[in-house]
Amino acid sequence: MAYSELIKNFNRVRGYMREFFVYGFKSREDYTQKSLRSYDNERRRIESWLGDYMRFHQTAEGKIVFLSIDSRRVRHNPFYRAWKSKSFTDGAVTLHFILLDILAGPEDVHSLAEICEQINEYTALFDGATAFDESTVRKKLNDYVREGILEKLRRGRSVYFRRSSSPPYYSRDVLDFFSEVAPCGVIGSFLLDKSPQRESHFSFKHHYITTALDSEVTAGILDAIKRRKNICIRILNRNKNSVSEHLVTPLRILYGVQSGRQYLMAYHLRSGYINSYRLDRLLSVKTEKAAAEFDALREKLDRMQSNIWGVSTWCRTKDSLETVTFTVCYSDSEGFIHERLEREKRCGSVERLDPNHSRFSAKLYDSSEIIPWIRSFIGRIVTIEFSNREIEERFWSDLEEMYRLYHQDEEVKG
Amino acid sequence: MIFSELYGAYYNVLAGILQIAVSSPPLTPEDLHRIVEERAFSESLWQLEALLKNERWPLLKTDGSTALKHPPTMPLTLLQKRWLKAISLDPRLKLFCDEPLDFPGIDPLFTAADVGCYDQCQDGDPYEDENYIQNFRQILDALHRRCPLRIHSLDAAGRKRYADVMPDHLEYSEKDDKFRLQCHRGRSSMTINLARIIRVSPSDREIQPSPGKLRLPKQGQVEFELIDHRDALERVLLHFAHLEKEVRKQDALHYVVRLSYDQQDETEILIRILSFGPMLKVISPPHFVDQIRERLRRQKERPL
Repeated sequence: MAYSELIKNFNRVRGYMREFFVYGFKSREDYTQKSLRSYDNERRRIESWLGDYMRFHQTAEGKIVFLSIDSRRVRHNPFYRAWKSKSFTDGAVTLHFILLDILAGPEDVHSLAEICEQINEYTALFDGATAFDESTVRKKLNDYVREGILEKLRRGRSVYFRRSSSPPYYSRDVLDFFSEVAPCGVIGSFLLDKSPQRESHFSFKHHYITTALDSEVTAGILDAIKRRKNICIRILNRNKNSVSEHLVTPLRILYGVQSGRQYLMAYHLRSGYINSYRLDRLLSVKTEKAAAEFDALREKLDRMQSNIWGVSTWCRTKDSLETVTFTVCYSDSEGFIHERLEREKRCGSVERLDPNHSRFSAKLYDSSEIIPWIRSFIGRIVTIEFSNREIEERFWSDLEEMYRLYHQDEEVKG
Repeated sequence: MIFSELYGAYYNVLAGILQIAVSSPPLTPEDLHRIVEERAFSESLWQLEALLKNERWPLLKTDGSTALKHPPTMPLTLLQKRWLKAISLDPRLKLFCDEPLDFPGIDPLFTAADVGCYDQCQDGDPYEDENYIQNFRQILDALHRRCPLRIHSLDAAGRKRYADVMPDHLEYSEKDDKFRLQCHRGRSSMTINLARIIRVSPSDREIQPSPGKLRLPKQGQVEFELIDHRDALERVLLHFAHLEKEVRKQDALHYVVRLSYDQQDETEILIRILSFGPMLKVISPPHFVDQIRERLRRQKERPL
């Protein structure tokens, strides 16, 4: 089959784009899950969409391809381009433009038979153009009613079609901003494509653009939440290279603006627990039956979130939360340390003990989640205590390892 | 469905081409090149040219004429309306307009109860504050009109200051939940936190350089060795994914990562590297290594 820059299934490129952008150290031969030809085609497509950001370097293992993007310097997420690469059939594109031309104004209301007749008048101008049968046209019209582009009207026993009204929407500034910060921002990018081009007045710092790659599963989950439906999720288990299926009640999407990760918080129907699932590991989302316990489960999650540092709901000690307390010190001119604790405390609490000491404490389901944040205060920690001794021991042993890592050169020199 | 040809680059290109074919025929090769360059991908031109030359789609004749009677337009899809309704509920929308648009009978795609952030700083900008909103709008207006502004603000120490500046753009940090104005002041660049602005007014000062040539912050580079224990490779690379970087594999467990960052953010980068503990060891630059050593030394000296 001849190469095309358009694709049918987004999941084919989703994994490659993440690999090229997030990892960016693999050679062609390292991509073993698909054939080398598949790799070549996907790499070529991604280069066609994102060529400005594609970089290469040569190693003993071969040529390394990676995407290098400083998201602070781009005004629009480059990954949105990939969402505009859906392939289509000749019939689909022809019908799209002819149907919307027949139903161009609000006064254009036609039956299926009238539409079919008019389509023939359009195509008759072209030698050898394929005629469309009534069932194909009916299917396309019904698809467009579901998409919201067209409306179906019933007059007696007859069915008519007309285009939906299109309300005015927000300015380009609103779309420039929210297409980058709102969930499923790619939809805002679709709207921007219809506006006259000009440079955005907004840039973004700490901007994790890979979340764009998960837009389809995000939209599927949000739709199910809105409709209070259970979903069946297919998850790619990276370590085992296997796929598993789970029936869950979706409750909320949580995202980290300091980690670049997005999670589905959902009640797992078989295990009876509320768990977190990485969105970038979800291959698909399928809507199932109504979620009868949705409201009660969401209330439960609300309560739980006052004891969750990140997304982990896993409690090692049944029915008992883990406690974490630490105290930091600072000089008279370093009051910003206390302010930083206040700003970043999340579900914890901060107490100023004296002009030079502040204490943080929290009760958490999983206290291991807070360790990276505590490490960012290294040099200032004067007391620290975890109710979970195993976690505390790991904190100390990691610190010892850091002393060793950074001072071994000095010891050798000494 | 998000991945749909309805939103695709080729449909957008065709809409542009057909618009010219209907409104101001004939379509020239230059028109085609321009539209493809604006709306599609680097390999689209030769693919589309071949398709159009063969009259593969009975929409456009080889002489550039079309059977369509109207310039092509597409109503908003339900998905687009639901997304627009969702952003209508966002408190930050007030920065742009007084009243959100109404989309009767449309369910928002999401609300604040459906989506949340777990690690955002808790001192975000006051989006409901009337003075803040007014300042934001004045700055945005000046960006549109490319006009200089006089900005009265408080500095980090709480002292009142003013500056005549040419706004370049607004920068938003999702982590801090704050807007900053990036602007020109004379030949230098300046950053002003919007929440610290007291008052904005037009300035009659002529300010060079012209907008669009803002000097970029000085870049720093840090190189560290990554030891892939406890899934560190994935965690670290995703964590720093928003920065320009290069990764080299040393062996199955060891990688060398080089990150580029704005030098004014060095302390932030340093504490983020520290947060990964012994999974990362900074190799260069020497002053960065020294800062980490110093923090570790201070920690070791504390009697715990």
